Amino acid sequence: MPSAPPDPPSPFPITKARTHLLGLTFDECIQVFFGGNAVMAVVILGLITFFLFKEGASFFGQNRENLTVYRRAGLEYVDFMRQQEQDHTALTRYLSDLRLRTLQHLTGPGGLTLAAANTQLAPFDEFANRYSDAVVPLRGFVSDLTDVATAIKTKFIVMGDNKTQREQLLGAGKTAEAAAVVITPVDFKAELAPLVGTLPAYRDLSTAFAKSLTEAIASPPKLPTPELQARMERFRALTQQYLVSFPATLKNLESWDYLKPVPVWQAFTAFLFGKDWLTASFWQDWYGIVPLFVGSLLVSVIALLLAVPLGVGAAIYVNQIASPLEQRLIKPSIEFISAIPSVVLGFFGIAVLGEALRALSHVTWLSWVPGFPFAERLNALTAGCLLALIAVPTIFTLAEDALNNVPRSFKEASFALGATRLQTVLRIIVPASLSGIVSAVLLGLGRVIGETMVVLLCAGNRIASPDFTAGLGVVTQPVHTMTGIISQEMGEVVRDSIQYRALFVVGIVLFFLALLINFLAQKIVRKYRISIG
Amino acid sequence: MVTAPTSAAPMENTAAPSTLTIKVPGAPAADPGVASTLIEISDLDFYYGAKQALFDVNLRLDEKRVTAFIGPSGCGKSTLLRCLNRMNDLIDGTAIRRGAIKVRGIDIYGADVDPIELRKRVGMVFQKSNPFPKSIYENITYGLRIQGVRSKTRLDEVVERSLRGAALWDEVKDRLHESGLGLSGGQQQRLCIARTIAVEPEIILMDEPCSALDPIATAKVEELIHALKKQFTIIIVTHSMQQAARCSDKTAFFYMGKLIEYADTSTIFMNPANPQTEAYVSGRFG
Repeated sequence: MPSAPPDPPSPFPITKARTHLLGLTFDECIQVFFGGNAVMAVVILGLITFFLFKEGASFFGQNRENLTVYRRAGLEYVDFMRQQEQDHTALTRYLSDLRLRTLQHLTGPGGLTLAAANTQLAPFDEFANRYSDAVVPLRGFVSDLTDVATAIKTKFIVMGDNKTQREQLLGAGKTAEAAAVVITPVDFKAELAPLVGTLPAYRDLSTAFAKSLTEAIASPPKLPTPELQARMERFRALTQQYLVSFPATLKNLESWDYLKPVPVWQAFTAFLFGKDWLTASFWQDWYGIVPLFVGSLLVSVIALLLAVPLGVGAAIYVNQIASPLEQRLIKPSIEFISAIPSVVLGFFGIAVLGEALRALSHVTWLSWVPGFPFAERLNALTAGCLLALIAVPTIFTLAEDALNNVPRSFKEASFALGATRLQTVLRIIVPASLSGIVSAVLLGLGRVIGETMVVLLCAGNRIASPDFTAGLGVVTQPVHTMTGIISQEMGEVVRDSIQYRALFVVGIVLFFLALLINFLAQKIVRKYRISIG
Repeated sequence: MVTAPTSAAPMENTAAPSTLTIKVPGAPAADPGVASTLIEISDLDFYYGAKQALFDVNLRLDEKRVTAFIGPSGCGKSTLLRCLNRMNDLIDGTAIRRGAIKVRGIDIYGADVDPIELRKRVGMVFQKSNPFPKSIYENITYGLRIQGVRSKTRLDEVVERSLRGAALWDEVKDRLHESGLGLSGGQQQRLCIARTIAVEPEIILMDEPCSALDPIATAKVEELIHALKKQFTIIIVTHSMQQAARCSDKTAFFYMGKLIEYADTSTIFMNPANPQTEAYVSGRFG
């Protein structure tokens, strides 16, 4: 080298590197980068939780207000009577069901023609008509009062809207326009007077109603079989029960006070235990999570009932029995299912599975299956089947891992004692990996409960608690779910309205459910690691 | 720690002027009379896939004796052991290409042999103690339960007899329903032996049963082996030459998949015919 460098090289070069970025050394930069990524995840989780709660928390205040208006405007008062009317309608439905059964019996094999059967049922029809006509006066009465209560509520809402308008104008500095907005205060007492004043009239009406019902059931028509006769007796007993409830209704009406405050806890219980989710109603909006919760649960249980045997069974087969070639084939196939976008699965559900299941349900020799035949192509069963497909890869992969973690020596010991392969799997391998399998199932449940697209497309979206009196047939009823309702309504709802808040609270419930499931799964897995050593 | 196998053992055995404590197998120490052959291995070639692991092994193992298989790692001794109860069937690609193994004259690889039934007759104790993650009681009764034994009194009886047989009864009789994994390493291994003898096999295969145990636990297991040979035929694979010398009647030395020498234990250790054997037992390689 002709030109010597300015600094002679250090004889023992161990000085610190001089690379600096924003005052940090290279090492520190790397640390900040990775640390930052980890912190980001925690921060985002925190933010999501915070916003969920921030948006959801004021729901309960709003719901309490909602319930207060329900009482002040007299809607609650009218609903006492309406309930009575609806109970009667339910009983009438029982009666028409009974007629249908009788008709089926009469026109059954070797029976009468339809016309002849209808003629024979004439006494029954007379009886049924008398029974259902008894409610007509009550129905008219309730209808009139409904109008009164709705009018009061409308007035109140208009007042509220005007108040908001004035505040907004004042806020914008337009004092003159603000003064022009007329706010008519609602005098609930005066408005309610005609409503409450109908009590004596109702009392007479109720007595007359009870009398005509008692007369109607006094002379029931004879039915052809003892089984049908028993149903008629049951119907009469139900009517008796219904009649006994009359004084209670009257008492509710008499003691009703529009000023009675709505306790705070009712805002919570009305949400957590409310059996109706009813929005944009002309009468009263209800935000009860029960139908959605039950819907989600029903769909998930169906999904798990299908997915657990499939997933765990496949895991046992692949891990314990399959040849290496089969393993190479089956494992990726099952794992590939999770790569299918759920909207595509939903599509498949609507176009193929729902139709196929309905067609299957109409096959005559399958009519013994509970819930068959059904008319709704989209129902809990359709959604549950597809959700099972979504849960299978999760359950399969995790269960297979759990089985894989069972030491080979257990298997060898079992074989060395003269156990068959089945005995080894059932008595040694599965028990030893049970907690891992249980946690796999739990995580599958978490996956299924959080799934949205499939249930939105395939569950039928009927917001009502499924009718569990149908026994196992309940699975063929359409349901709505927590995830489904959020995705369906969130796009159309007015920001900061009570419904908007209610959806957030549903989100919080989902969030906690998922948290609980994951927590349990982790806890079980940890325990399992310790026990196997 | 080694007890004389029977009271009939001649006194001069223990006074043998040897650095190793060797029982003289040639002397009719255990049973009077000549031991009869139980297992006959002839011309055995064994393969893991394309790799041959055993070459032309011929061996006759005596009934109610302890036979030790020794040799350096990878010499095929464990493979041969696992052939005797067909545990190798569980490994894909294994095959016996030539030769036969006969127990009491019956080929155990015959077409009409059920390996499940075979394993009930030929028990096995593994290198690493492997009690099931169940209670001690459940561990021992497992073999009987899978055979369909339900009677509580029968199971209780077998549990006590097996644990006594494995010299473990006094240590665990108060905690039979606690997990077998809570025992110490040596106790676990004796539990595994108890579990094996509970199904009353004729032959017990032991694959380095003491390699994970400390000297005291090892001594207990060796004592047990002595006691068990009155009732069972025992074949033990071991890396410890002292162990082979202490507890076996006959010893087979394997090297590179071949049986190099098979003779009375005293002969193998004191006066081996083959120079390779001598090199191994004297510690020059392996």
